[in-house]
Amino acid sequence: MTDVTLTINGEERSASVPPETSLLRLLRDEFFLTGSKLGCDVGDCGACTVIVDGLPVNACLMLAGQVDGRDVVTIEGLATLEDLHPIQKAFEEFASLQCGFCGPGVIISAKGLLDRNPDPTKEEIKDALSGNLCRCTGYTKMIEAVQDAARILRGEKEAA
Amino acid sequence: MRAFDFVSAESADQAISLLSEHGPNVIVLAGGTDILVDLKHAKHDPDVVVDITRAEDLKGIEVNDGGLRIGALVTHTQIMDDPYIRENFPALVHAAHTIGAVQTRNLGTLGGNLVTCVPSMDSGPALMALEAEVTVAGPDGTRRMGLEEFFVGPRKTVLEHNEVLLDVIIPRKNLGKPADFLKFGLRKGQALALVNAASALWVGEGNTFKDVKISLGAVAPTVIRAAAAEDFLEGREITPENMAEAGRLAVEDAKPIDDFRASASYRRDLIAVLTKRTLDNAYRLAQGG
Repeated sequence: MTDVTLTINGEERSASVPPETSLLRLLRDEFFLTGSKLGCDVGDCGACTVIVDGLPVNACLMLAGQVDGRDVVTIEGLATLEDLHPIQKAFEEFASLQCGFCGPGVIISAKGLLDRNPDPTKEEIKDALSGNLCRCTGYTKMIEAVQDAARILRGEKEAA
Repeated sequence: MRAFDFVSAESADQAISLLSEHGPNVIVLAGGTDILVDLKHAKHDPDVVVDITRAEDLKGIEVNDGGLRIGALVTHTQIMDDPYIRENFPALVHAAHTIGAVQTRNLGTLGGNLVTCVPSMDSGPALMALEAEVTVAGPDGTRRMGLEEFFVGPRKTVLEHNEVLLDVIIPRKNLGKPADFLKFGLRKGQALALVNAASALWVGEGNTFKDVKISLGAVAPTVIRAAAAEDFLEGREITPENMAEAGRLAVEDAKPIDDFRASASYRRDLIAVLTKRTLDNAYRLAQGG
């Protein structure tokens, strides 16, 4: 068994899991954080995207043992009890999701972008979301939502 | 995933010890973007996985007496963000940017891309055109070699089970050498190259090709140099006609195959076009953009 202790959404968590457990399985099966989705499980679809040490990565492509001591942020770490995160609110306002399966991954990718680049161009947003496959809504409304969330996070617009 | 044991190395030396101790049925895990997929789909069934992502001595980008040293664990994102590489080697930045997507570029490493050694790798051509060398370390010490020697065949390098790739070095003579990389895939994001190509050159006296190096990917069992095209250009005047002729000769240097992504015939056309365009772009870069 592999013992891991890591920070998830600001809270220290520990688990003992078989060595072949992926970070995604660790999050979903050990900690019941099921917001990160299991889609392709080979790093193509982005539904499992989480932020590790500040960077968006595919949780299906890391082993649990590799995240021992690291800092992980999942979709569950964005909203507070009072309020959704501005990116989540923008996705709601712009109706950027239909089935929503890709949503957590897309929103985490958008957060990864805006954390590093508060004023991205449309091309930069497309690049940031190119590792997240959406097969029902399409990307136009997502890009609009990310642009709107960026304006709110920059303080140029009041939150809805 | 099948069951295996997991151990983590804090340095290259420790990785080599662990690999020797647990070998030969061991596998090195770095960014994991290829290895995790292989582990899940049982191409690999190792007894032990040696994680090297905590080996600090395999990280870092620096210019030293030998040239530009890029640690094997440097990620594609770190290459794209490095100020020195952005200034001096836009071809490397462009090549890194064409790999996968943000998530896989944050995980995937330069060393991993070279060691996995798929013919369509996007890190290979620009480095080979810049005559990059690699350092391999094992129980008996280290050895240096060019990429042509390091790549053996599809998914096969010279690495033994208890050896690791330490770093990639672009020799000092090539620091700032104008170079260009182009990839043709079927989509902008997350696509493998049907063909990729890179050229590096200096402009010699009388506007001639000097030390021109051309490299091609996805058109042979490994990334290759286009020797006939290089020989033709050396010392000749830099003209669009000569670039086009080099493109035609580069097709002869390659052995493209038919597969589900493209026909060999389509790949031959791409080789000629991409070779010519990378030469043209490298020349423009030499002229100051």
